[in-house]
Amino acid sequence: MAGKTAPRRRRFFSRQDKITLGFFIGIPTFFHIALVWFPALATIALSFTYWTGIRVEDIQFAGVANYENIFLNTPRFWEALGVNTIWILWFFFIATPLGVLLAYQIDREIRGHKFYQSAYFLPVVLSLAVTGIIWKFLLRPDGFVNGLLGLPTAEAISFFGDDRYNIWVIMIMASWRHIGYIMLLYLAGLKAVDASLREAATIDGATEWQTFRKVVFPAMRPVNVIVIVITIIESLRAFDLVYIVYGGRGGLPILGVLVFESIAGEGASMKGAAYAVILFLLSIVPIITYLQQQFREDVK
Amino acid sequence: MLNNISNHEVDRRLLLKGAAAGGLGIAGATMLAGCASGTGPISFGSRSVDENPTKQFQALVAAYEAKTGNEVTYNATESNAFQNNLSQYLQGTPDDCFQWFAGYRMQFFADQDLLVDISDVWDEIGDQYNDSYKIASTGLDGKQYFVPQSWYPWGLHFRKSMMAEVGLNPEDIYNWDDFMGALTELKAKGLIGFIGTDAGGWEAMGTFDILNARINGYQFHVDLLGGREKWTDDRVKEVFRHWEMLVPFMNENVLDLEWDGGRDMLLSRQGGFLLMGSWFGADFLSVSQEDYDDLWIVPFPEINPDHARDTIDAPIDGFCVAKNGANIDGGKDLIKFAGDAEGMQAMLDTGVPMTSANNNQDTSTYDPFQTQQLAVMNEAKYITQFLDRDTRPDFAGPIVGPAIQDWFKDTSSTDSMLESLQAQWDALPPL
Repeated sequence: MAGKTAPRRRRFFSRQDKITLGFFIGIPTFFHIALVWFPALATIALSFTYWTGIRVEDIQFAGVANYENIFLNTPRFWEALGVNTIWILWFFFIATPLGVLLAYQIDREIRGHKFYQSAYFLPVVLSLAVTGIIWKFLLRPDGFVNGLLGLPTAEAISFFGDDRYNIWVIMIMASWRHIGYIMLLYLAGLKAVDASLREAATIDGATEWQTFRKVVFPAMRPVNVIVIVITIIESLRAFDLVYIVYGGRGGLPILGVLVFESIAGEGASMKGAAYAVILFLLSIVPIITYLQQQFREDVK
Repeated sequence: MLNNISNHEVDRRLLLKGAAAGGLGIAGATMLAGCASGTGPISFGSRSVDENPTKQFQALVAAYEAKTGNEVTYNATESNAFQNNLSQYLQGTPDDCFQWFAGYRMQFFADQDLLVDISDVWDEIGDQYNDSYKIASTGLDGKQYFVPQSWYPWGLHFRKSMMAEVGLNPEDIYNWDDFMGALTELKAKGLIGFIGTDAGGWEAMGTFDILNARINGYQFHVDLLGGREKWTDDRVKEVFRHWEMLVPFMNENVLDLEWDGGRDMLLSRQGGFLLMGSWFGADFLSVSQEDYDDLWIVPFPEINPDHARDTIDAPIDGFCVAKNGANIDGGKDLIKFAGDAEGMQAMLDTGVPMTSANNNQDTSTYDPFQTQQLAVMNEAKYITQFLDRDTRPDFAGPIVGPAIQDWFKDTSSTDSMLESLQAQWDALPPL
């Protein structure tokens, strides 16, 4: 059989085919390089320069000055790193498991699961910017919650300004959407798990938890990998929500906003490019390491 | 036509080729459009979506259209978003003329060759302005890039009726001790004495400016913002020591309130004094004539007798022409009209209070609140623009703004905050 198919694989492409393929591969590749790789590499290069972002001839080589500035002189960077760390831990240990739990419950078709499914999925349809606007409307000093508490503006609880609340408020806002997202991904995965596996486990006398832990969870490996990668990326690239709430000037620092703060506005600074490179490395390194490890296990 | 297409075998590759060429063509055309300076409708970029400025600018544009017959498109952007994107906006396809600030923030963009030299406009309408306005409109190269529209003083705003109820006469507040006394009385009545807002990251800069100018004087303030003095100087620490004295009289949700939250606190009589630019008087008038008549302003009190009350933040707003605009001549024509007596009159006719930079606005037509603004202004010998208009943009917004916000969270962090500010100033790229 292998002998029969082998000659077929050696297909000859006609000139026309080559041109066609060239187009279909060449054009997307061109755009990909122009729109993804070029800006990414340019950002890395620019992070080693001083530049206001306006005239190309004004670019000056700065060595590692921008990085030095960030690591040694900018307390806000370390604050932002702290916030992003809390974000990732929260997503990992609270939001994502909650999404998985919900997916599992809905998959077990508990009463009213259709309603829950739509209710939890609803926030996912909204962009994070809209989420931010909705929550800001609820929680600002003259907003709904402070009104409900009967507090005038002067005494209103500072949900976004006070360090006691702000990070947790933002975490809840972000989870509101993230939970539904993870739920949906996981639900799709659960639907694909062979029902007979679960049946066999039940017959063998496994409890619900044992079934999930030892049978369903391992069977869901591809989805688990995606969920973990998404959790990391979502927590590190967080931007929109915080930008909407604080207007891109000050407020709760997160790395995504620091990039914007330095690069947008009047007189861009390539400190922003350096922030972007740091953020890129932070996102890519754990993901690559994790995926490599996963693939290695798969090969085994 | 349809038949034609369906009968004809469309060559896919040709189609793709066409699409690619078309795409490049479109990109090329937009790039070219950036350089042209032809005719066509003039576009006007407004830096505000608020009710009163919108009324003024639309009246200005309408008067211009009526006079010249030229078509103008009016584009408005929310002010924070406009400022955050200005650099990209000016390098892309900006409106022909747009609303902006005088001083450093204009000079920076003029220096980057993104604004059009409008010295010829000044030749025509320059005699309607005092020299100080011309200086504020001039770039580092000595040419003009800006036409002033209006000015407003930063001072202590309050409601006359509210102060009368408490038994205070703010006009008698001359120095820091008087002011502290008044704040204590307001606090005793359960009121917020000094309204604080800083959610936008710039509002509190006004407090820094005035404290620094009162304690250390105009020259030190300007030198500090220009990098010729150090933030770690004991004199700057003194500023924050005074600011700390104000904090107990402030609302606690400073970081959650933008400037308009402060305005609303004053309007609803929840707070006594609001240090802010007088522009928001127009909003009081929109609520009612009674509220407007109740609004008053006095200069910030003296702290150091050496400097008395000789300095004030009085920013000038106005218009620039963008170099990448599609219709530069049209843009210039429109701002010439805006800077001229006629344009000013169109804006005044809306009934929105405005203190124009143009000499043709007869100060005898000022309402009492405007007359008082002028009096506050006239007491000062030195005029500053505002912290974020008097220093480097890459320092004010991303560095000073968040530093002051953090300071509000822990007012005992003055020393470390100032050290960090100085370190970040030193690390700024050379200009």
